Amino acid sequence: MVTRRGFLKGGGLALLGVGLMGGIPGFLAEAAANDKIIRPYKRRKVLVCIFQRGAMDGLMAVTPFSDTYLQTVRPTLFISAAKDSNAHPLIDLDGKWGLHPSMQSFAPLYKDKRLAIVHGIGSPNNTRSHFDAQDYMESGTPFNKGTSSGWLNRAVGLLGHDALTPFTAVSLTSALPRCFYGDNPSVAISNLQDFAIQMRGNPSAAGKVASSFEDLYDQTSPGLLKETGKESFEAMKMLQKADTRNYKPDNNAVYPNSPLGNSLKQIAQLIKMDVGLEIAFTESNGWDTHFNQGAADGIFARNVTDLSNCITAFWTDLSSYQDDVTVMTMTEFGRTVRQNGTGGTDHGRASCNFILGNDVNGGMVHGRVEALAVENLEDGRDLAVTTDFRAVFSEVADKHLQLGNDRVLFPDWNGSKIGVMNSVS
Amino acid sequence: MSFLRWKYHKKRAGDVKPEALIPVIRNYRRTYIIPSIMNKTAKFLRLALPVLCGAILLSSFLGETRHRRFPYHEAGLTERQAAAHLISRFTYGATPGQIDEVVKMGLEKWFRAQLDASLPDDSLQTMLAQYDALKLSNAQIAAAFPRNGQIVRMAVRDGYVDKDSVKTDQKAYRDILKKYRDEKGFKPEQELFRQLYCQKILRAAYSQNQLREVMTDFWFNHFNVSITKNDCAEFIPVYERDVIRPGSLGRFGDLLKTTAHSPAMLYYLDNFTSSGPVDTTKPMQKARKAQGLNENYARELMELHTLGVDGGYTQQDVTQAARVLTGWTVYPMRRAPESSPSGMTEEFIRRQGSVHEGDFLFAANRHDKGEKVVLGKHFGPNGGYEEGVQLLEMLAHHPSTARFISRKIAIRFVNDDPPASLVDRMAKTFRDKDGDIREVMMTMVTSPEFWSASAIREKTKSPFELAIGAVRSLRARINQPFQLYNWVTRMGEKMYFYQAPTGFPDKGQFWINTGSLLNRMNFGLALATGRIPGISFDLAVLNNNHEPESAQAALMTYCKLIMPERDLDQTIRRLTPMLGDPSLQQKVNAAATQNDEMSVTESAPVPTPMTSATTAQVVGIIIGSPEYQRR
Repeated sequence: MVTRRGFLKGGGLALLGVGLMGGIPGFLAEAAANDKIIRPYKRRKVLVCIFQRGAMDGLMAVTPFSDTYLQTVRPTLFISAAKDSNAHPLIDLDGKWGLHPSMQSFAPLYKDKRLAIVHGIGSPNNTRSHFDAQDYMESGTPFNKGTSSGWLNRAVGLLGHDALTPFTAVSLTSALPRCFYGDNPSVAISNLQDFAIQMRGNPSAAGKVASSFEDLYDQTSPGLLKETGKESFEAMKMLQKADTRNYKPDNNAVYPNSPLGNSLKQIAQLIKMDVGLEIAFTESNGWDTHFNQGAADGIFARNVTDLSNCITAFWTDLSSYQDDVTVMTMTEFGRTVRQNGTGGTDHGRASCNFILGNDVNGGMVHGRVEALAVENLEDGRDLAVTTDFRAVFSEVADKHLQLGNDRVLFPDWNGSKIGVMNSVS
Repeated sequence: MSFLRWKYHKKRAGDVKPEALIPVIRNYRRTYIIPSIMNKTAKFLRLALPVLCGAILLSSFLGETRHRRFPYHEAGLTERQAAAHLISRFTYGATPGQIDEVVKMGLEKWFRAQLDASLPDDSLQTMLAQYDALKLSNAQIAAAFPRNGQIVRMAVRDGYVDKDSVKTDQKAYRDILKKYRDEKGFKPEQELFRQLYCQKILRAAYSQNQLREVMTDFWFNHFNVSITKNDCAEFIPVYERDVIRPGSLGRFGDLLKTTAHSPAMLYYLDNFTSSGPVDTTKPMQKARKAQGLNENYARELMELHTLGVDGGYTQQDVTQAARVLTGWTVYPMRRAPESSPSGMTEEFIRRQGSVHEGDFLFAANRHDKGEKVVLGKHFGPNGGYEEGVQLLEMLAHHPSTARFISRKIAIRFVNDDPPASLVDRMAKTFRDKDGDIREVMMTMVTSPEFWSASAIREKTKSPFELAIGAVRSLRARINQPFQLYNWVTRMGEKMYFYQAPTGFPDKGQFWINTGSLLNRMNFGLALATGRIPGISFDLAVLNNNHEPESAQAALMTYCKLIMPERDLDQTIRRLTPMLGDPSLQQKVNAAATQNDEMSVTESAPVPTPMTSATTAQVVGIIIGSPEYQRR
C-alpha cells in the first residue's frame, strides 16, 4: 500500500503511480499540481464528523457525579464514581466529571490531553424535534429551514484550494446527509467495495465490461458525464489496487463489527490511500433512549461502548496519521435531567460532545454547567445550552482545516470561540 | 359555469359561518377550480368537482389550443425526432414502438391527451389493488399505523412491557412489541411507506397518463415534504394522492391552497404549532405560553413555493405573513371523538370562528387578530381564516410567482438553464391564464426554444427516471417494485426522503458524481442480466421473437430499440470489439450457467444461452452508457 508518508518522502507523485493501470489518476495529478501552486507542500488535514442521531444523554455519558440533584431525579439511572460501592463506577476525570464506565477506552486519550469534552453544548433554537434540531445542526443555520447547503459542504468551499478530488468530502452513508447538501463536490458512499463494476462471480467479465464502459464515457461529448466518468474509473482502479476487502488495520486495531466501526474503518482506508480526503462524515444511531435506557449496563451502555471503541480503534489504526486527523462527535440535543416513568429520558436541550486530535486542547471538560437545580435548568427541566454548537464546530473546523471564514461557514453566527483547540497548530 | 359556482357556494355556506365565508366567495369567483379537500363535503366534491371542472376546462382549453402546431420543423427536426423529444420530456421514457404510436396519433393530439390525463388505466389499477393502505384516509392511517414510540407507550400502559426493567434483552423486548402489535392488529409504519414507494414506481412505469405522473413528481418536489420528519411522514401518502396528483395539471393557486391546508405540509414546516400572542388572563391559554409565532412555513411559502428568493419580499413580510397564518393547524385525529376536549364539538368550533375542513383546522383562538401588512396589502385587524386564503391568493397571482414557477417548469422540461425569452413567454401565459399549468406547458411546447438544439437530450435523467425508463425500454414486468426502490436509493435519490424544503435540485451536477455513476452502470448490468429479483422481461419478445443473426446484429437491434432516434454510431462502434472477443462469451456463458440469478437465460427461449447472455450484457451496457443517461 502506498502511504502518505511514502508519498511525501518520494517527493510527490512518483509513488502514487505504482501499480496503477493508467498511471497516476488524473484527479490526483491535477490536485497535486494545484496544491503546489496554492499550498506548497502542505499535507492534507482531515476532519471526521460523527453524528449521533437520536440525541445522546450527555449527562449519562459525562456525569457531574457529585451533583446531589442529579442523584435524586435519576434514581435508577445515576451511576456513582465511588469505587467501593459498585462493580462499574464512573471513570473519575477530575473529581467533578465522570466518564461512563463503558467508555474505558477514552480514558487514556483524555489523560493524554488528546481528547476534549464540551459540556452544555447545543443549539440556540430550543426545538425538541429530532428532525428540526438535526436539520438546523447540519445546515448550520438554527433559525432558517430554507438554507439549501449544509455546513460541511460550505467547509469544502473554504478549503482554500482548487485541488479537489472525488474524495475530498465523503459521507459513509446510504444517502447524502443534510450537512453535505450544496454546490461543492461531495459524495455519499455506503461501501467502498461497491466502487466497482459488478458482475457477480465473474471478475474477468467485469473487467471487460468496465473497459467498455470506460471507453464509452471517454468518447462521449465533453461535459459532466465524460468528466465524471473519467474520475469514476480512476477512483475505481485506485480502490481495487488498495484491496479494500482485505484491509488490515495497523497496530492491531480492532474495529467493532458495527455500522459505525465499518464506516470508520473505510474512512481510515481512504486516509491512508491519499486520495485527497479532507472532510469525512458518518453517523451512529440509537440514542433516542425514552425507554429502559439502562445505567452501567443496557442500551445506553452498549451505545457508548460502540462509540468509544470505534473511535479508539480508528485512532489506533491511524497512528502515523494522527497529526492530520481530528474527530468530532455531535448530537442534536440532550435529554431531560429527570428520568421519565419508563426508565429513560425524554428530549431535552444541551448535551456534550467529544473532540479527538493532536491539535485539540484535550484533557479537560470545556463549557459551563451550573449546579443542576430547577432554577438553573432551561424551562425548569433541561440542562441549559451554554455553548452554541457553532462556536465549537467553527473552531474545530477552522483550526484544523484552516478555513478562515466563519461568516460563510455559519452565516448567522457571530459568537466567540471557547478554546477547544490549541492556539498553535 | 355560474350554476356550478352557485351550487358549490351554497354547499359551503351550510358548513361555514356565513360572515367568514363572504370574502372567501369573492375570492373563489376569480378562479374556477375550487380546493376540494377543505370541506366537510370533501367526499362529494372530490368526486364531482374534478369531473365537472374538467369537462368545462377541457372544452375551453381544446378550443384555444386546437390549432397550435409544434414548431419542430423550423428547428430542423423530423417528425420522429420531435416525437422522441416529446416523449423524453413528458413521460418516464419511451416504450418500444411508442414513437410510431405518437407519430400516428399526431404529436399535438398526443400532448393534449397527456394534458387532459384522462386515458384509461385499468391494468395499472389492478396492479395497485394489492396496496390496501393507499385507500385509507389520514385518520385511518393514524389509527392503523401507530409510530414505534406510541406502540411502546401503549404496550407499557397495557402491561406488556415492564417499565421498571432496566436490563433489557433487546431481542426479547422487540419480540414483545411485535407480539403486542400483531395482537392489536397494528401495522408497522414501514409497511405504509413501502406501499407508497411501490405505487409511485408502478404508476410511473405503467400509467397511460404519463405526464400526470411526471407532474406529480415535479410538484411533490416543489412542495417538498419528507419522511425524515416523523411528524409529517404518515400524512405523505394522502398528500400525494389527494393534493398533489389531482392538482398537478390544474391551477397553481389551487395547488398552493390545498398544500397549505394539508397535514403533511402543516407538520413539515411547523405551521401547526404557530400561534399569535397569548392572552395570559385566560387560564386555558396559559398552558400554551411556551408556544408562539413560527415563521418556517411563511418563509418557505414565499422563498420556495411562490415568489422565489429574489421575488421582492423582506424579512418583515415573512414575519407578517406568519402572523396571517397563525391558527392554521391540523384537526386532532388520533383521539377518539368521545375523548376529545369538551370544547371541540363542531358547534363550538363554529361559534369560536374556527373552521374545520377535513383534516384542516383553523383555530381562531390561536390566530393573531392584530393588523398585518404583507407586500403592501393590509390584513385585519380582527380578521380570521379568510386572511390566510387571501394571502395565498395574492402570492399565487404575484408576477414574481409567475416567473419563478415558469422558470422551474422550464428547467424540468427544457434544460438546466432555460432561456429568459422562453421563461418570459411562459410567465405571461401564467398571468393571463390565472396560473393554469396546462396553458403554461402549452406555451412552452409551442415555443421554438423547446425544440432547439440546446434542449435536445440536454437533461440528465434522475436515478428514478433512469430506473423507470429502463423498465419501460425493456417492457419489463415489475413484480417486486421495492427492488427498484433500493436501486434508485443506491443511485442517489432516496425517494420521499429529501430532508430540505427545497426538494431535490433539478440539475445534472446533483445526480452525477463518482459514487452514483458507477451505480448507474451496475444498475444497467444488474437489470439486463436478470439480477434484480422480481423484475422480468424477454429480450426476444422485445424483438418480435426474431433471433438476431449475429452478435453484431443484436447490438444494432437493441441499441435502436432502447435508444430510438439517437445517433448511435459511437455506442455501436465502442461496443463492437467486446462482441468479437470469444473468450468473453465463454466467460459470460460460464457465469450464466453457474449463477441461478442470471435467469434471463431461462426466460428467453429463442437463442442459444451463449448468445442471450451476451445480448443481456450488451443491453446492460447500453443502459449504463452515457447516451442513455441523457434525455
